[in-house]
Amino acid sequence: MKQIALYGKGGIGKSTTSANLSSALSGRGLSVLQIGCDPKRDSTRMLMQGRFIPTVMDLVRERGDAALSLSDVVFTGYNGIRCVEAGGPEPGVGCAGRGIIATFQILEKFGALEGDVIVYDVLGDVVCGGFAMPMREGYAQEIYLVTSGELMSLYAANNICKAVQRLASRAKSKCRLGGVICNAKGQPREEELVSEFARRVNSAMIQYIPRDHVVQQAEVNRQTVIEYSPDSAQADHYRSLAQRIMENTRMTIPTPLEIDDLESLAREFI
Amino acid sequence: MTSNPLPVNSSRLGGCTLTGAISVTSHVRDAVTIIHGPAGCSHHNVSLLHASWLDNDHAILPELVSTGLSETDIVFGSEETLRKSIRHAAGRDVRAIFVLSTCIVETIGDDVAAVCAEEYGIPVVPVPTAGFLGGTFHDGVNNALIALAATAGPCRKTGGINIIGEMNLEYEVEENYTEVARLLSLLGLTVNLRFVHDISYDQLARLGAAQLNILRSPALVPVGEVLKERFGTPYIPSFPHGLSGTLSFIRTVAGACGIDGQEAVSGECVRQEEMIAGFSDLANKPASLDHTLSGAEEILAAEELAAVLDLVVGAPGKSSRLPVSAAIGTVGTRRMLHRWRRAIHA
Repeated sequence: MKQIALYGKGGIGKSTTSANLSSALSGRGLSVLQIGCDPKRDSTRMLMQGRFIPTVMDLVRERGDAALSLSDVVFTGYNGIRCVEAGGPEPGVGCAGRGIIATFQILEKFGALEGDVIVYDVLGDVVCGGFAMPMREGYAQEIYLVTSGELMSLYAANNICKAVQRLASRAKSKCRLGGVICNAKGQPREEELVSEFARRVNSAMIQYIPRDHVVQQAEVNRQTVIEYSPDSAQADHYRSLAQRIMENTRMTIPTPLEIDDLESLAREFI
Repeated sequence: MTSNPLPVNSSRLGGCTLTGAISVTSHVRDAVTIIHGPAGCSHHNVSLLHASWLDNDHAILPELVSTGLSETDIVFGSEETLRKSIRHAAGRDVRAIFVLSTCIVETIGDDVAAVCAEEYGIPVVPVPTAGFLGGTFHDGVNNALIALAATAGPCRKTGGINIIGEMNLEYEVEENYTEVARLLSLLGLTVNLRFVHDISYDQLARLGAAQLNILRSPALVPVGEVLKERFGTPYIPSFPHGLSGTLSFIRTVAGACGIDGQEAVSGECVRQEEMIAGFSDLANKPASLDHTLSGAEEILAAEELAAVLDLVVGAPGKSSRLPVSAAIGTVGTRRMLHRWRRAIHA
């Protein structure tokens, strides 16, 4: 079983990329589980015809975890992809990080973490220990960073490199950086910049996904691009990403950049 | 933000901030203390209070309620759980509710003060007591006393003395109080309020009426300052320790109250001399002072006492190890002398 996690700045397109990746993986005949690890709970929506599925944390709050079973928390969406949303507290209260940890414990108890591929779609910033949970022993061993060529997006990706580096230094950790996915904003020389960033943090750009209006068209139709427009060039990009991830053997411990180096890198490609 | 510069810090004497606060609030007889945290935070403290109260022949359980937080409360925030606990407690026959926070609720950012500020029909007083914010047992005591002081309004000075911050968990808490009250009576002074030891909530209103506050120990100076600011009451920073400490205490109290204390001091001095004469069998005995857990004023009082008794302290060879405890006033000093005699003749 392959377990991968997508991290990146908030709003950069992690959920869109994750849902299309899961769709493309399922198109290869693989059994896929996608877990949204964000209190915003919208990771799997495009796989569920726009439906916000009940989150694990909501169900725990309403019924208590003793009354739950596997079928309560796992929902089957497009092409048999199993979908889970961790959920969490309302904005501004409680501890969302602990919610992620609790969700993982419940999923483990139910034996939900099975299949050919598990895709973890994680909150933008690794703000506390809880959001590093998907990177811990026994969960995602391959981390993919989703970033555009914008400095703030690269900055967030660089921060996540720090988290991966820290976790990778633990004795039993198998967590490694699998690569960088460029989800382009459409700025000039963006592909070159992200590719160079990936190289400098001791990784590689695994896929360039250009900006394409079809993504928005699919979204307003509550579908992934793979489902909405399977013959589009954009769908090919996602299928290519799926193939490269399945064939990827280059797992590295990242070397995050200092902020000055990051800024001068961005300046080179302006 | 607090931090521990020494990650191997092995101090075991700082104590839990929560315990310090409970040792105060649980002494308001007709109030309930809610501990907003996991059940274990309460259990540990109830056991401790129960045991120490039993030692002082006070065989009732403290009025403590736990919000009994679980993981769900932590993830979703536990303000609603606290609100329910307060409402439940407010429905009982109590005059006030004190709400003590714990490490975990401060970590997840529960707004305890805001929940307490809602309307429940009786006063609900929050006391910040999360230990990881840098507090010790003493900070818990101080935080609780300051929070309780805020419930008392200004009132007319009627004279009398407040006893501030008695160590409610110490074995000799009643004896120490009795001794201080006796010393005050030598000057014709009476106690206005024991703040806080076995009182009712309504009695807190008398806090501002005293002409002088006597603190149990200098760790309570922040409380003394708050009371001075709020009610204009001066304070003496400590109970008296040892022989000369007791005499100077009488002088200081007399001075603060504008009384001529000379007669009281002379009388007490005679009493001390008679007492020392009764322990002349200890003279010239080899001894060492065991002050592992003692404070500076306790050590000074013990050293003075050893000199007055002509004990031979610190000589090489076999000696008796004498326990140094809080010798509050002349009577407290006599109790310590009895312990020393038992150690020497053991």
